[in-house]
Amino acid sequence: MATTLKEREVVVVGGGLSAGLIARKLVPLGRDVLVLERGAPRSGSESQLPSQRDELRWGIQRGLMQRENVETYTLRHAPEETALPMRRLLSFLPGFGVGGGASHWNGQTWRFQTTDYILRSHLEQRYGKAAIPSDMTVQDWGIRYEDLEPYYTLFEKLFGISGKAGNIKGVKQEGGNAFEPWRAEEFPLPPLEPSEAGLIFKAAVEKLGYKPFPMPAANASRAYTNPDGMKLGACQYCGHCERFVCEANAKASPDRLLFPFIADKPNFELRTHAEALLINYDKADRRVTGVTYIDTLTGEEFTQPASIIVLGSYVLSNTRLLLLSGIGEPYDPGTGKGVVGKNYCFQTISGVSVFFEDRYINPFMGAGAYGMVIDEFNNDHFDHSGLGFFGGAFINATITNGRPITTRALPPGTPRWGSAWKAANAKWYLRSFNISCHGTSYSHRSNCMDLDPDYRDAYGRPLLRIAFDFPENDLKMSLFVTQKAHDIAKATGATIVGTPAPRRGPYDSRIYQSTHNTGGTIMGTDRATSVVSPHLQSWDAQNLFITGASVFPQNSGYNPTGAVGALGLRLADDLMSYLERPRFL
Amino acid sequence: MSDQSLPPIDRRAILKGAGVATVVLPTIGVANRAEAAEPKPQIAQAQSPAAVVPSPAAAPGAATGHQFLSLDEVAFTEALVDHMWPKDQLSPSGTELGIATFIDRQLAGAFGQGDRLYTQGPFRIGKPQHGYQLPLTPAQYYRAGVSAIATACQKRFGRSFERIAVADREQFLQELASGKVKEGPLDLAAWFNGLAYPLFVQGAFADPVYGGNRDKAAWKMIGYPGLPAVYNQDVVRFRGKAHPRSANPQSIQDFS
Repeated sequence: MATTLKEREVVVVGGGLSAGLIARKLVPLGRDVLVLERGAPRSGSESQLPSQRDELRWGIQRGLMQRENVETYTLRHAPEETALPMRRLLSFLPGFGVGGGASHWNGQTWRFQTTDYILRSHLEQRYGKAAIPSDMTVQDWGIRYEDLEPYYTLFEKLFGISGKAGNIKGVKQEGGNAFEPWRAEEFPLPPLEPSEAGLIFKAAVEKLGYKPFPMPAANASRAYTNPDGMKLGACQYCGHCERFVCEANAKASPDRLLFPFIADKPNFELRTHAEALLINYDKADRRVTGVTYIDTLTGEEFTQPASIIVLGSYVLSNTRLLLLSGIGEPYDPGTGKGVVGKNYCFQTISGVSVFFEDRYINPFMGAGAYGMVIDEFNNDHFDHSGLGFFGGAFINATITNGRPITTRALPPGTPRWGSAWKAANAKWYLRSFNISCHGTSYSHRSNCMDLDPDYRDAYGRPLLRIAFDFPENDLKMSLFVTQKAHDIAKATGATIVGTPAPRRGPYDSRIYQSTHNTGGTIMGTDRATSVVSPHLQSWDAQNLFITGASVFPQNSGYNPTGAVGALGLRLADDLMSYLERPRFL
Repeated sequence: MSDQSLPPIDRRAILKGAGVATVVLPTIGVANRAEAAEPKPQIAQAQSPAAVVPSPAAAPGAATGHQFLSLDEVAFTEALVDHMWPKDQLSPSGTELGIATFIDRQLAGAFGQGDRLYTQGPFRIGKPQHGYQLPLTPAQYYRAGVSAIATACQKRFGRSFERIAVADREQFLQELASGKVKEGPLDLAAWFNGLAYPLFVQGAFADPVYGGNRDKAAWKMIGYPGLPAVYNQDVVRFRGKAHPRSANPQSIQDFS
């Protein structure tokens, strides 16, 4: 029997990016905020030299991530198949611990394109209703870029993003992204130093007539103090970003920039080792009343009453908590009815390697967003008439790391072991890099999530069951953009160009692709087709708000964290408004 | 197959001949430190230490002996990693590099014992893309795979993997990796590609603190400088140039 605790004003489930952005706004304004985080603080060997540099422990054995024996997901490629558990989570990396995924991310920080928020309307308007495949369930968000622009600007300032503007209030800027949506201001920090790979890529794409620009990075190009007075050090290009926490305090993350800002305030509490089991829901009253959680240090259960609950946990946890709590109508891929679990999307990644006999790439000098990019073939930046697909990818040369277990590109035809394999590693490790495509993932009628009937977590609750495969649309898109990457690879003058590897199905859970899972609690203006309103308020409980990439109706060609940040900051303002006058916003 | 094609050392056979099959040998040390110290074999059952076959000494401070693998499994694993990581002008052999020690330690430790692996049933055979679906811990799985391979080699060559010719080993591993070796209920290609091969690569390239990559020989071979990895100035200074630390890497031990 759970012990009932004293009511709190705002309870946020999940101690990651969204919780940090909400708390830094509400707490200084005197609001009572409790964050429930299932993991521990980031204060151990993961954040100290020399152990932080341990590739096996953090990179391969995924020491910072959600433990599969406690909770994993089951996978089927289509709703009519039987799902099996992913007994190891290899293809994406749900975080665990204070800061969540935004503590062990790479730091690639984008603004979603203006068309992303109005994707269905935009595609219908440009290509006609008939051009959109009937099983492509893309939707509008119910907001526009203009609604988020001030929050993107604030997020970039809070996180000290390094980059070069391409469009300040409609005026194009030389050296920036010619396709980026307009921004109010220049980036807070200048871009990172270009890498050798970046310079090679830049020369090649310029030869082909494209406009390269440095990737927007949460790896600070120099020391920085944000508007809250929180500080970042300068990036050391150590090549240990994704899967690692930054021991140099140079990678923007909630555990460094957001929670410490309010940590000593009496009206703020970050309660760790608190795994939310259930949102208590009064269906008749259409309100949530509290969160039941387990203290993972003692195994005790508690019910934490709250006047407002915010789900700010990972995409998959947000969706699963709604399903476990019986809030909202579960999505049925057979009928297309229902909403919770709908429009699960991912990211469509592909690439081609290049090898230079006479150039030192030195991949060990890396950073998560240490990249040079072109955006010509992303989203709807090019005419899709007659192509047979929608969407696209940014194409980039980004030296995230040269960690030797993981990052050793080898030319086609190299044996997998033996002296020739060793010699190829010795020859090419320092002299190769990947040109990759970071592509859209558009929603499909049969890609969705529900509760698994057979498999349970360590607490006896059903696992989340994912039905996903790459839709034909996205496979065609990947083929197209990977061909463009191949053309760029050939233009680099590489000694050897690798075999282009467009994304192919079936979705392979053994291979890391990205931690850009999206959807399941999508936002929109119509309660029949969305879980939350344009203000991220649950249609089924006025005092429940849900944020994070679980509200994306489909995924853009950009990394999601920038948009998650903007949504979180906007929600913080909406929560203040709601607290002053509770209502449907 | 002629005896000349046998690998130079068949320690298990020597041991059997010497009547000390219960002795667990120390792992072979790094070649350039071979003369450093007396061998200190661990003896599983009381035997005269004099009966123990001398072996090159381990590097000072390097762990010796095996925590998980049986003597037969050690012989297979050392033969496997020596074939896949042969001694040549680039580096010492896989065993000398410590890859077999690494595999033994991993199987004995948290990874091998199934730490964090989701082990609840029902167990079903899925598609390859579902990933690992067996009810075995990695240690049990490794053992079961080695056993099936021993049977397959016995049937095909009349002797164990470590006693077949180098050319036969190559042919056998190629077939193993591509799913052409079938023995018993396990998918041996999945075993090789999903367990043995990743452990092999990790043993070569992980930080030496785990027992492999001794003397950072694999890092030296490719030019990975290791720690501390602080390159704020170097990204400009050594952009497009050889980095001096590539030839002289440092590891966790150097900062501990």
